Amino acid sequence: MKDLACTSDSPVHEQSPSNQTSIAMMQEPQEMVEETVTVEEDPGTPTSHVSIVTSEDGTTRRTETKVTKMVKTVTTRTVRQVPLGPDGLPAMDGSSPMGSYTDSIDRRYLKNGERYITPQASSTLTRSYNSYNDSYPESHEGQYRPYLGHDGYGDLSDNYGSLSRGVGYRPRYAYVPGSAYRPDDGSFTLPSRRDNYGPVAQPQVPVGSNADLNRSQPERFQPEPYGLEDDNRSLGVDDEGYELDPDYSTVNRRTSAGVPERGRPHKGRGYEEPMEPEMVEERIPYLHGGYAAPLAQPERGSMASIDRLGKRSPSIDSIRKDPRWRDPDLPEVIAMLSHPIDPVKSNAAAYLQHLCYENDKIKKDVRHLKGIPILVGLLDHPKPEVHRKACGALRNISYGKDNENKVAIKNCDGIPALIRLLRKTNDMEVRELITGTLWNLSSYEPLKMVIINHGLQTLTNEVIIPHSGWESEPNEDSKPRDAEWTTVFKNTSGCLRNVSSDGAEARRRLRECDGLVDALLHALQSAVGKKDTDNKSVENCVCIMRNLSYHVHKEVPGADKYQELDAGQTTGTGGSQKKKKDDAGCFGGKKAKGKKNGDLDRNFDTLDLPKRSEAAKGFELLYQPDVVRLYLSILTESQNFNTLEAAAGALQNLSAGNWMWSTYIRATVRKERGLPVLVELLQSDSDKVVRAVSIALRNLSMDRRNKDLIGSYAMGELVRNLPSRQQRSAKNLEEDTVVAVLNTIHEIITDSSENARSLIQTQGIQKLVAISKSSQSPRETKAASHILQMIWSYKELRNALQKDGWNKSHFQSVSAALKGSKGPAGRSGYDDSTLPLVEKSQDNEKSGSRDMIPMDELGPDGYSTIDHRDKERKYKSSDPSGDASEKEPLKNDTNRKNINRSNRASVNLVDARDIKPQPVDSWV
Amino acid sequence: MAFVPGQPVTAVVQRIEIHKLRQGDNLILGFSIGGGIDQDPTQNPFSEDKTDKGIYVTRVTEGGPAEVAGLQIGDKIMQVNGWDMTMVTHDQARKRLTKRNEEVVRLLVTRQSLQKAVQQSMMS
Repeated sequence: MKDLACTSDSPVHEQSPSNQTSIAMMQEPQEMVEETVTVEEDPGTPTSHVSIVTSEDGTTRRTETKVTKMVKTVTTRTVRQVPLGPDGLPAMDGSSPMGSYTDSIDRRYLKNGERYITPQASSTLTRSYNSYNDSYPESHEGQYRPYLGHDGYGDLSDNYGSLSRGVGYRPRYAYVPGSAYRPDDGSFTLPSRRDNYGPVAQPQVPVGSNADLNRSQPERFQPEPYGLEDDNRSLGVDDEGYELDPDYSTVNRRTSAGVPERGRPHKGRGYEEPMEPEMVEERIPYLHGGYAAPLAQPERGSMASIDRLGKRSPSIDSIRKDPRWRDPDLPEVIAMLSHPIDPVKSNAAAYLQHLCYENDKIKKDVRHLKGIPILVGLLDHPKPEVHRKACGALRNISYGKDNENKVAIKNCDGIPALIRLLRKTNDMEVRELITGTLWNLSSYEPLKMVIINHGLQTLTNEVIIPHSGWESEPNEDSKPRDAEWTTVFKNTSGCLRNVSSDGAEARRRLRECDGLVDALLHALQSAVGKKDTDNKSVENCVCIMRNLSYHVHKEVPGADKYQELDAGQTTGTGGSQKKKKDDAGCFGGKKAKGKKNGDLDRNFDTLDLPKRSEAAKGFELLYQPDVVRLYLSILTESQNFNTLEAAAGALQNLSAGNWMWSTYIRATVRKERGLPVLVELLQSDSDKVVRAVSIALRNLSMDRRNKDLIGSYAMGELVRNLPSRQQRSAKNLEEDTVVAVLNTIHEIITDSSENARSLIQTQGIQKLVAISKSSQSPRETKAASHILQMIWSYKELRNALQKDGWNKSHFQSVSAALKGSKGPAGRSGYDDSTLPLVEKSQDNEKSGSRDMIPMDELGPDGYSTIDHRDKERKYKSSDPSGDASEKEPLKNDTNRKNINRSNRASVNLVDARDIKPQPVDSWV
Repeated sequence: MAFVPGQPVTAVVQRIEIHKLRQGDNLILGFSIGGGIDQDPTQNPFSEDKTDKGIYVTRVTEGGPAEVAGLQIGDKIMQVNGWDMTMVTHDQARKRLTKRNEEVVRLLVTRQSLQKAVQQSMMS
């Protein structure tokens, strides 16, 4: 999971801007010229306008609200005209002074009203009121009225759409009438209480501005693992812009939980349906307000909008009086998601995003209140404002350790909905939100395959390929394009990085996904070309490549064709190879395109790469010797430890195994002068880099030439990484790393007395003896004693050893110790993925012989970075393997051991499982 | 969706109408099916009840006709153009879906999320 984690923390702006100022805002309305559109069909569509509000703060905020116009639209410019809402809401202009402001709002109402009646719109706010009224009947009513009179409310109406605006305006509306308001809707509206609502409104703000907002604060990644979470609000809006702001933000959070649920019966309900009737009725009453025109009832005059709201809320008066609004409580916000007026939906979603930001409790409450299916439903909403906001809320909800939220999104088919939206939208911001959400979801194991099933090809086609600059059929005239390290690409690559660790099937799907490997490689080449290898996107790409390189020699179609038959490289390999062969055979069927001349290419020094009749493509690119140069460039250039680890891990994976391609890879690393690059990285300050590099060297030393070179040039660095007596080691490396280094040393000195001699010369014996005698770690003890036994087995070295003051007991005691500790230690020894399996059976008998650690067993498995059993992946930590990305560090430690063990033991079984004939599956 | 042999099965179903896409000489639906009474039901990763030998959607081509129509991986196909699919062999199901003279296929499918949604709405 860490991988997932975005390292960058984006600043979070959660600001609840001056919410409280809402009142002040009211003024704005005037400025705004609103066009009124009457939409018959969409009640909800508000028009867009930009309003500038001055908040108390003195800051100017700008809010833009977009209104969608419906088919029948009447645009009215002026402020005042107030058509009556069908609802009966008055389109009041006049009544309140504020009128002008109001107007805009009102208009909407009117417009809306006709259809849905503005009221609803208002209602959004109102409802709340209403509801509140219920709850808080008392004061509010009173308050409202006052407002009614005033302009304030008018604003509200506008607001409805967007909550924010509303804030400002609301006051005017006094609309009064609250009565009218459809209570039903009511739930939604927050209006009256500006104070409270104010907050609500904010969300709206975002609506208009949303885009901006979001952008502004892109995502907040938390350092944690994955995660993208934003606070809209903060973003939001121009925030300042919202008039409402002030309140809502903060308040809500705190409160929301507390808020009593109100049964808002209406929530979901079709607002429309129920509402309308009511509305109608109510409308009449509303009429009063200033907007007499409309319905004429002037009662509260302009407040009309409010009224609606208010209707329930008698409190209008109170509102006015008490400028404060209250924030909608969570059930109200969720109910608003189903409000018939689109801006209300989007504002509610934006507000939800804000509420959820860094608040796990709210996320959970949203889930329990069944808000997630509603948000997912909004993803298919045709209006960008709505699906954008819904997406933002889902991103925040999907972030965090609570996997239940992720499951809830999946259970209501949120993953296919996100993918659908991705295909449909060209809005970069929405795409960022979608891919961010998917990244978050991808951190949970059970969802990985779901993402692959629904979205792999879409993510590749829509994001990875276009942003990588790769073209499947390059136009000869155009230059190759460079990758664009966009947020969308980063998110998507992060998501794929996570899903790529989901086991053999996931790897197969990714490898076979058209264009994916090609595009990732192109992107990495572009990164190297521009010397831009430290960013997160590169890290993600390298991690994917590493994961996909895991077990290529067994899992790729036709891999059996490339298996090398002879065990030339190491003693005793034969057995393992056979095994491999069998495994590979299971995949048989497709023919590999490369030539198979494995038998011919035994000679490592004179390496003849196979000639290809056609360029490699797709997954074949994973193991072509050409990739070696790429990885070495990354290892040379990058300062990002995760990237370094992954690149070394990729080489480790590719150089493991006994197929022809790994032979080429091992030789190519040498020819490309990669060994010095790797050796230098042994000095890295990063534990995991040292570990990955060490294991890669071990695999590379299966090539005899490499073994000689590594023995000569790397022994010093390897020994330096071992803990000395006083200190664990200069770098204080983890146990896994120390064990990896020890195993690498063991491999290097196996079959090479020259290398053993250089070990002696680098003062390694002293450290090894210390480890074998006093290490707290049975694994380290065991690994060190194996080395000592091996050294003692070289009779030609004994003289030199004895000269240095060592005697047989230093080397033998070890073995005794081993035996003694066999029970506990034996097993643990195997944990280390790098350790050869062999030991157990052999250590006693053949203490001296090289056989002790047969490479065979190690075979590919031992070497590969990634474990098969991805399913259990957790172990990864121990391996630098690919999975690491996803996992959480914590898990690693605990899981590792178990996992490794199981891996080893069950490797074959696992493979078998993978290969198991698949159930019949027919395309239709 | 567990069923008891001999008892009627009740399920929340969704109607899905897929318009086949012409690809060369073939009409394709853009999904694959698994299961059938002649298949090993324990290998079905999508069924809750591992004895269920129904026909399940195992893959859906992204952007293909089936996905456009709303079909999802893991959906259990109950009927195809009115024909029962809960007691058929794999091949029978395949043939029923791939009639050359039918350009439109109407499915009744059920899925866990539908069941849950209904349950929840009934409870609440």
